[in-house]
Amino acid sequence: MLSQLISQDAIQLDIEAVNWIDAIRKSAVPLLKSNKITNHYVERVIEIAKETGPYIVVAKKIALPHAPSDAGALESSMSITVLNQAVEFGHESNDPVKYLFFLSATDSTSHLEALAALVELLDDEVFLRLLDKSKSSEEVYRYIQNKERS
Amino acid sequence: MYKALIACRAGVGSSLMLKIKTEQVIKEESFPIEIEHASLDAVSSFSGDLLITLTDVKAELESKGLAKPIIGISSITNKEEIKTKIQAFLDEQKG
Repeated sequence: MLSQLISQDAIQLDIEAVNWIDAIRKSAVPLLKSNKITNHYVERVIEIAKETGPYIVVAKKIALPHAPSDAGALESSMSITVLNQAVEFGHESNDPVKYLFFLSATDSTSHLEALAALVELLDDEVFLRLLDKSKSSEEVYRYIQNKERS
Repeated sequence: MYKALIACRAGVGSSLMLKIKTEQVIKEESFPIEIEHASLDAVSSFSGDLLITLTDVKAELESKGLAKPIIGISSITNKEEIKTKIQAFLDEQKG
């Protein structure tokens, strides 16, 4: 379940970032604080993006920062970060990025169901509009829970 | 039936989501394609017909000179793009 992968305090709204690296670091903070990932994991995400391009920008305005499990994913988890100003990641068609879904996964199968739910969320205009205008992470979290029930 | 491999760098995030979306499209359109999923390391030993990945990974694979057709998807939420590009591959196979 996606709502088990995300906790309410891992939803950050109205975040300021000066560039894409800053955006990734800020989106990692809730998972670092709750010991879901190591510092090394965050650095790997940034290194891989530098080496190989912005492959984590998976749809328009949306980045999914993540690295291989062995880079330092301690628990499968996700944070949601909404930037107050979108930043350029250097992606040819999906820039600039406003929403970051920072993901850690300890293997490639256990979070499959949650990812399927996330795919639906990323395609949900109502959800993305809610991210833009909501001032409350509780409200966003509740939307995710309700969507799962429906 | 064609065999396609969906690959990404980590094998835990974007490619899994691409796999979910691609499977939905294949089912809806009844495309004759079976999907496997792996990290990029598995690409060189893949014996199937087609690689599906994200656009920037496609550029990297092409620079390695792989002989197989590669479909690059720019948005994992865009079913229409996935559908159009797979349809183009199938049309090409019929020749």
